[in-house]
Amino acid sequence: MKKEKVLIANRGEIAIRIMKACNELGLDYVVVYTKEDRASGHVKKALKERGSQAVYRISSYKDPNEIFSVADHSGATAIHPGYGFFSEDFRFARRAALRNRPITFIGPRWEVIRDLGSKINTKRIAKSLRIPVIPGSDEPIYSEIEAETLAEELFLKQKEQGIDKPSILVKASAGGGGMGIEEVNHLDVFRQVYRRIQNYAKRQFGDEGVLIEQCMRDYHHLEVQLLCSQHKEVVHFGTRNCTIQSTGRQKRVEVAPGFDPTIWEYPFDARKVLDDMVKYSIRLAEKVEYDNVGTWEWIVTRDGKPYLLEVNTRIQVENEISACISRISRQRGPVNLIKEQIRSALGEKLNFSQRHVSFEGTSIELRIVAEDVKRGFAPWCGTITRFEFPDEPWVRVYTHVPQDEPYEIPTEYDPNLALVIVWGKDTQEAKKRAKDFISETVIDGKDSRGNGIITNLSYLYEKVDEVLRF
Amino acid sequence: MSINLNDLLRKYKSHPYEDHEILAPHTGVVKFKVEEGQAVKGPSGQWLHRPGTLLYILEREKNPKRITSRFDGIVTDLRVDLDGKFVEAGQPLMLIRHRLNKQEITNRILKEVLHIFPAPERARYFFTPETSTKIEKGKAKSLSVKTGDEIVIMSLMKRDTILNYEGPSGVLYEVYFKNGDILEQGAPLFGVCLPERLPFVEKVIQRIKTEWDD
Repeated sequence: MKKEKVLIANRGEIAIRIMKACNELGLDYVVVYTKEDRASGHVKKALKERGSQAVYRISSYKDPNEIFSVADHSGATAIHPGYGFFSEDFRFARRAALRNRPITFIGPRWEVIRDLGSKINTKRIAKSLRIPVIPGSDEPIYSEIEAETLAEELFLKQKEQGIDKPSILVKASAGGGGMGIEEVNHLDVFRQVYRRIQNYAKRQFGDEGVLIEQCMRDYHHLEVQLLCSQHKEVVHFGTRNCTIQSTGRQKRVEVAPGFDPTIWEYPFDARKVLDDMVKYSIRLAEKVEYDNVGTWEWIVTRDGKPYLLEVNTRIQVENEISACISRISRQRGPVNLIKEQIRSALGEKLNFSQRHVSFEGTSIELRIVAEDVKRGFAPWCGTITRFEFPDEPWVRVYTHVPQDEPYEIPTEYDPNLALVIVWGKDTQEAKKRAKDFISETVIDGKDSRGNGIITNLSYLYEKVDEVLRF
Repeated sequence: MSINLNDLLRKYKSHPYEDHEILAPHTGVVKFKVEEGQAVKGPSGQWLHRPGTLLYILEREKNPKRITSRFDGIVTDLRVDLDGKFVEAGQPLMLIRHRLNKQEITNRILKEVLHIFPAPERARYFFTPETSTKIEKGKAKSLSVKTGDEIVIMSLMKRDTILNYEGPSGVLYEVYFKNGDILEQGAPLFGVCLPERLPFVEKVIQRIKTEWDD
């Protein structure tokens, strides 16, 4: 691999994981940060490893001119967007590829991001390939009359299907990550919710387009992890189960593999459902000639039917639980999907195929967040004064929160504190280890009024018992 | 009323200045267009449509951005060592020592006279759509508020919370932010004038008009 310099256009723990991947690949890197993030761990790590020449303060992570300006000044040859920010922005990826001084965008090529970045377009392509999708709108709705007509249709359809409590979801079309979604149980309140989501979408995303779809009840949220290359190679790294989410539909506990029939009984053939999801995901990836890492998001209903939700054309927070249970013959230890993503974007071949990939054990990810689960997962703001967790061979912890000095949580971003990846030889062992980890973790802090920190540790502890149970 | 208008005016007359730190708004290569000690002008014209004195040019991605002064004043602490160099966002470039004018003095004194509703957290703030419409139509001063009214939306970590006004009833006299601004915890969002204080507020404005030299 030629000597590349990667600009890490992100923050927090993902920036740290990308730095580690660059180090392991022997690549140089630079990082950016905003005023609010000056005390973040990713800045400290970069200063320690590369010095002040590798650290640039910018006005915003969301300003593409800032990223390209630093890329040019620092001589970066590639940009890793992490997740969020520019990771699924095809215009940014296109600009990187087509500018006078092209820069490699570490992700799929921009045409793929454009085509799959839109949930609506993904739905259309999936339908054309006979891949099951959720009934609902095929494009953003801007007209209240049109929205009400569709909502009425969806309610009627559910009644015809004999669904006891029909409901629909109203979503900000430009949203993501579980933000800007509300459920409507009666047509009478639809208009009120529609207007609220429309206003929210306009404020947060500058686009008031809204999507409406049938609300599936009693389902599990699953994912298929794919890794593809520019040489038309497609490999999957199995499935994940991300059903345990906050009330705002943000993931809190994830598990790989997606179901475990050895510990729970499912009302359907779990192995067949997982195989079908993988098969459908690969079918779509091959159709669009997908060429980097990506996640195919699914829901599986109690009757064992999978429905494709969307494709995330980026590395995901929870990628590592898939990597953790995957083994590639001839390679030592678990896979590092961020390293593979970088290699793939730089044009390398994968060096392995599906037959070289096997799976071992169960992995659980815990997202430690400063939030009050009893008050609707309300974010907590304040300063962390103590953060200690056990160091075990079966756990990896990614955090931007420094352990050696107080850390004030920036109010501009979600109060995520750490990602914990636990591995066990089977699901029972992984669950026990996850609970042991939580029990031994200590987080202290105070808010501006002197009240103690509120985190979701006890919620995570309770939820570990429920993983993979339908 | 415990506020002594004479004391307030004396305080501002003894030090009628404010130093504005000029920071690079984003990354880029900086080229200064002013010198240490130079007098500069802020924007002017009926709609402030004429830009102030050109302070520096910040070039990023082949786009030269002309940064002009937003205040009248004198340039001090100019970082001549950065001329022609790449700077990061937030880099201090100079100070402008600005002499407060009548309107600014009035605003400062009003902040001490009005009931200020502060930002509870460092967050992004918006007026509720109903309030926003009235403010945009210039009807803020006819907007009565009372405890429990939904006036402002606080957007913190992308979650919206409607803030109910708490405080004495009155009219929404001054607004201290624009929709979408990020405010520090404790920064004023708006000021409410109690009906019985309206004559005093008018008196403040009148005295400054007659006693202050711009």
